[in-house]
Amino acid sequence: MKRPVRLEPGQKLVLTANRLLDGRTVWWCADGSWDLHIGRAALLDADETEAVLARVAGEAQRDGVVGVYDTAVQAVMPPEPVTVREKIRAHGPTVHPEFAVESQQ
Amino acid sequence: MSAPVGHYQYDRIDRDFLQARIAEFERQVNRRLDGTLSEDEFKPLRLMNGLYLQLHAYMLRVAIPYGILDSRQLRKLGEIARRYDRDYGHFTTRQNIQFNWIRLEDTPAILRELAEVDMHAIQTSGNCIRNVTADEYAGAAADELVDPRVHAEILRQWSTLHPEFTFLPRKFKIAISGSPNDRVAARFHDIGILARPGEDGAPVFRIFVGGGLGRTPVIGQELFDSVREEHLLATLEAILRVYNAHGRRDNIYKARIKILVQAIGVEAYREAVEAELSQMDLERYRLTPEAVAAIRSRFAVPQLEAPADADAVLAQQRRDDPLFDRWVRSNTHVHRDPGHIIATISLKPAGGIPGDATSAQIARLADLADAYSFGEIRITHLQNVVLGHVRKDRLRDLWLGLAEVGLAEANIGLIGDIVACPGLDYCALANARSIPIAQKLGARFADTALQAEIGALRINISGCINACGHHHAGHIGLLGVDKRGEEFFQLTVGGRAENGAAIGTILGAALPEDETVDAIARLVDCYLGRRESGETFLDTLTRLGHEPFREAAYEAV
Repeated sequence: MKRPVRLEPGQKLVLTANRLLDGRTVWWCADGSWDLHIGRAALLDADETEAVLARVAGEAQRDGVVGVYDTAVQAVMPPEPVTVREKIRAHGPTVHPEFAVESQQ
Repeated sequence: MSAPVGHYQYDRIDRDFLQARIAEFERQVNRRLDGTLSEDEFKPLRLMNGLYLQLHAYMLRVAIPYGILDSRQLRKLGEIARRYDRDYGHFTTRQNIQFNWIRLEDTPAILRELAEVDMHAIQTSGNCIRNVTADEYAGAAADELVDPRVHAEILRQWSTLHPEFTFLPRKFKIAISGSPNDRVAARFHDIGILARPGEDGAPVFRIFVGGGLGRTPVIGQELFDSVREEHLLATLEAILRVYNAHGRRDNIYKARIKILVQAIGVEAYREAVEAELSQMDLERYRLTPEAVAAIRSRFAVPQLEAPADADAVLAQQRRDDPLFDRWVRSNTHVHRDPGHIIATISLKPAGGIPGDATSAQIARLADLADAYSFGEIRITHLQNVVLGHVRKDRLRDLWLGLAEVGLAEANIGLIGDIVACPGLDYCALANARSIPIAQKLGARFADTALQAEIGALRINISGCINACGHHHAGHIGLLGVDKRGEEFFQLTVGGRAENGAAIGTILGAALPEDETVDAIARLVDCYLGRRESGETFLDTLTRLGHEPFREAAYEAV
C-alpha cells in the first residue's frame, strides 16, 4: 500500500509520466488525456490520489505512457512543482532556454 | 576501403552480427509499442542496447571503443545529432557519446545508421563489461611504452556478448594504458591495466582490481605486476569469474567488485584468481602472437612525414602570435615523432556545457581530422577531443580552423577544463544540476591568462553520488546533494586520478547552490595567496593541509 502523502498548506498532487514513444514528460489532465504542459494538469487532493493513481497507472499502456507517479505542486495557476527535479521535468532543462517546454507544441 | 588509422576495421562477421542485433531490437521495440512487452520486461532489453529513459526523453549512449573514431564515424554522429536529436551530442567521461532527445520509435533506424559506419550502442549499459577505455594519446605520445589500442581491441572482442559476463552482479569497467603517466584513471576502474615492455620486448601487464568511484570510492589495488601477453585473457577471465561467483547480488550498493575485494582482501582475491587459473584450460585462452598480429593488421599505421623545418616553423608562429602560443602551451602534448604534435581540442568553452558539441562542430571536427590527422579522432575521459598526429608546421592552420567553430579554447588541464555529468537537467538519477555550476565557474574563470596563472587545477562535478563527473578524483570536487528538494554542493579537495591516485577529502557541510561558486573562488584565492614558487594547487594543498582551504571555503557562511 502506498504511504500517505503529507502536503503542506496550499499544495496539491498531480500525476506525471513519460510518453512511451518519445519519452517526453507529460501530465495527467482531468479529461483523462496527457499533456506536455503542467498548466493543464488535474490537481488532486491527497485523499483521492491513491485511487486515481491506481486507475491511471492501469491504463498506462493504452494511453502510451510509462512510469506513472504523483508529485506535489503549489496549487497556483499554473501549478508549480515543489522539488527542483519536478520543476525541471515540467519546464525542461535549465541550460537550454530554447528547449523549454513552454516553447514546445 | 582501406583500414582506418587508430581503430580496428570491422569484417563481414562483425557487420552481419550488428544487423542481426538491430533486427532483434527492432522486434523488441515493436513488441513494446504494441503492449506485448511491459516496461518492466522491456527495460533490460533497451538498456542492453544503450537506451535509457531520462527526465525529458530517451537517451541513447553510443560506444566509442577505446575512445577512437574515424572521420566517417564522427560525421555520422553529427548527422544523428542533427536528424534525431536537438542538434547536440554529449561526450561522456567514459569516452562515449550520448544523445539526450531520442524517440523510442527512431532507435532502430539510428542503430542502422550507426552500423553503416561500424558503430553500435551494445553494452553501454547493464551489468556487463562496458566500453573499454584507453589512453587518449595512445600510439602517439612520446612517453608511451606500449601502444594499448591493439590490446584494447582484443578486450573489446573478448568482452562483447561474453556469455558468462552478460549478467554480472553489477556493471564492470576496464581501462588500459601503455604509458608510465596514467591518463586513464587506471586505479579508479574495476580493472585497470598498465602495459609495458617485458624483458623479451613482448608486452607485460600490471593489473589493478577493485578501484572505483561512486558511493564508495576506492583506489584499486595491484593484483598482478607482470602478466604475460599470452595469459592476459585467461587472467581477466579468472578475475571476472571470481567476481561473478562471489560478488553480492543482494544489495546494489555493495555489488561492485571493489566491495568484494575490500571484504576478502586483495591477497585472498589473488588466491581465488590463481585457483581459478589452475583449473582453467589455459591453452583455450592463450593469446598467441599470431592472434595479436591478426588484430594489429586491421589497424592502419599513419605515415608520419614532416618537413625538416616543421619544428622551426611552429616555433616562429608561436613567437609571432601570443594567443596561439598560449593555446599550444595548454592544449598540446609531445608526439613520438619530432615533426608531429598531439592537439587536444577543448569542449569547455567559457560558460558552455562541458562535453557538448553541436552537429556543425562535430562535422567540422571530422573535416579537420581529415585535413590534419589522418582522419582519426580520439574522445577523452575528460570530455575533450584529441587529434593525435598533427604536423607541427600545420598546427596553426588547425587552430585557426578550430576558432571558426568556437573550439579554440586554451584551457586543457586548467580550471576552465571542467568535467561535469549531465546532472539533474537531464539525468533521472541526479539530485542536483551539474551543468549550471560548471557554466558559472567557466564564466568566472573565463580569462585564459588568469587560468594560465592559476595553473594545473582540475574541477570535477557530479550531480549525484553515482559520480559520473568523477568528483572524488577532482583536485576540487563538487557533489550535488538534495536537501528537502533544494540543491546543495559538497566540496572535496585533493583528489587526483593520475599517478598517485587519491580520493578527495570532504571540506565540510554542503553549501547552497548559490554560494558554491564564490566558495570555490575563495579556495582559488587561498591557493594563489599562499603558494610558493612553482607550486600547483595540489602542491600547496599538500604542503599546507586542508585547514586553510576549509576556512577559506566557509569564511562567509
